[in-house]
Amino acid sequence: MIESRANTVPRKIVRTIVTLGSAILCALPLYYVIVSSFKTSVDMTKHPFALPTEWTFANYAQAVADGSIWTAFLNTLIVTVFGVILQVAVGSLAAYAMVLKKNWLTVGMGAVLTLAFCIPVQSTLLPLYKMEGTLGIVDSLPGLIVLYLADSAFCYYLIVGYMRKLPTELFEAARVDGASPFRIYWQIVLPLIRPILATVIVFQTLAVWNDFLRPSVFVSSAEKCTVVLQVYNAVNAFSTNWPLFMAITCIALAPVVVFFMFCQRWIVSGLVAGAVKG
Amino acid sequence: MNASATSAIAKVRRRPLSPEDRATFFFLLPIMVVFAVLTLVPLLSSVYYSLTDYNGFSTDFNMVGLKNYVTIFSEPELLHSLGFTLLFAVSTTLLITVLALPLAVTLNKQFYGRSLARSLFFFLGIPAQAILGLIWRQIFSPMKSGIFNQILDLFTIPPIPWTSDDHWAQFCVIFVGVWMGVGWHATLYLAYMQAIPADLYEQSLIDGANSRQQFIHITLSQLVPAIVVSTFLIMTGNLKVYDLPFTLTAGGPRNATMTITQAILLRGTGQSQYGVGSALAVLFTIVCLLLVTIQQIVASAIQRRFE
Repeated sequence: MIESRANTVPRKIVRTIVTLGSAILCALPLYYVIVSSFKTSVDMTKHPFALPTEWTFANYAQAVADGSIWTAFLNTLIVTVFGVILQVAVGSLAAYAMVLKKNWLTVGMGAVLTLAFCIPVQSTLLPLYKMEGTLGIVDSLPGLIVLYLADSAFCYYLIVGYMRKLPTELFEAARVDGASPFRIYWQIVLPLIRPILATVIVFQTLAVWNDFLRPSVFVSSAEKCTVVLQVYNAVNAFSTNWPLFMAITCIALAPVVVFFMFCQRWIVSGLVAGAVKG
Repeated sequence: MNASATSAIAKVRRRPLSPEDRATFFFLLPIMVVFAVLTLVPLLSSVYYSLTDYNGFSTDFNMVGLKNYVTIFSEPELLHSLGFTLLFAVSTTLLITVLALPLAVTLNKQFYGRSLARSLFFFLGIPAQAILGLIWRQIFSPMKSGIFNQILDLFTIPPIPWTSDDHWAQFCVIFVGVWMGVGWHATLYLAYMQAIPADLYEQSLIDGANSRQQFIHITLSQLVPAIVVSTFLIMTGNLKVYDLPFTLTAGGPRNATMTITQAILLRGTGQSQYGVGSALAVLFTIVCLLLVTIQQIVASAIQRRFE
């Protein structure tokens, strides 16, 4: 913005009060969660908005006492890492096929995948449950990872838009030099699409890590719980002990906060500059 | 068919598969398998079971034609779940867009603590919807001890039955849905706004445009592609809503905030009405495809107007 008139100090101060003020107002629920996690139940009911009258770490001690939260973290980490790597691999390979050669197969699959992207996972959940039941992989981490592969169509959709803008001469030159299509994918295409890969990976990491629907349907045993499911179960188990719930929530959100701080610039950057054709 | 056309076809047939053609097949193979196993086969099986009275476990079931679909349209509870899902998706799409655009414009101006304000708004859309739903369940508690009711009490306003009243519960779910989404989509708009050429604004200043005219004629029209992407993401994402209402209100009171996803799961697993659940799933797929198509048509029409 180049208007100097609009950037005088009094205007900036007014803007600061209004904007920063509403940001803080919107973030108050998070403040409430954090302060409550350090309170006793009595303190929380009596002074819901104040800082704790006496800081207590008992809730945190209780939250990690049985160690189940660490198991949940490990499960979620395994599911997220494998789920996202597989999705991105499948999606980017398909996107590469689209720009490699136009033939009846790529044109047909392009149309099918656009359609697939619009089919919600909800409408396939019941048969998938039956299918996994027959295979005996319900309530297992591999069973959960397989389900997230359905998001490959979304990864494909984001990556192909970016790939189409790459100059094709690059592939041509490599092909003339005798590089195999896979080698071109691995050594030329993947490094070139790093910006969109970063966005897709960050986006899908959050999506898988935060998912509640699939774990809540497919996971039944406590030792296979993901973090979000663990938090949900905790509320039902200690329905009256809200400070304990707040402590568990804080522990569950801590990695998300750290992840956000390091990766926030990639979350939307890849969606810009026509990467997605809406 | 004349001779030249026939020979052209013959030429195409005779052409050997190039290494590229073969490579495209291998590169597409993983996604074809994934699509077939995780989407196509389950969807076809949903269509099949939606025409039966299958209960989920018994091997003895019959074809019942469209009876399950008739059931959906005759049970207010099921129609209601479809209605609430649509209400949520459409209202959050509109509200988030209307709020995120001016927010992005403000966040793009200079003020103190700008990056803190940006991060705070953005972060609200990052944690799991299920966890945010549980937090808000406590805040929107209809009891006198609920956070919002305590705040109202400070102004001597009587408590509001937030999550225990049909309409208030729907309000709560939509409110939290908007609360989560506004900052996220403002960030998306902000990223797009960095690409608007600064000389457009300089030129308009010389022409004597005020900031409202600048917003409408430059910012908004330059952001059309961003609005298309943003509304597409909200619409497709929020049609699939489940986590938020399930944790905030558990679909209640009296199914007021029941989503189509919850209804599918309830019928298909809890109530042994696998056929009805499947019919709901098929109907939902059709509704999603329809809505996305409409959205695409409207979006491309708008985009053409601004080009």
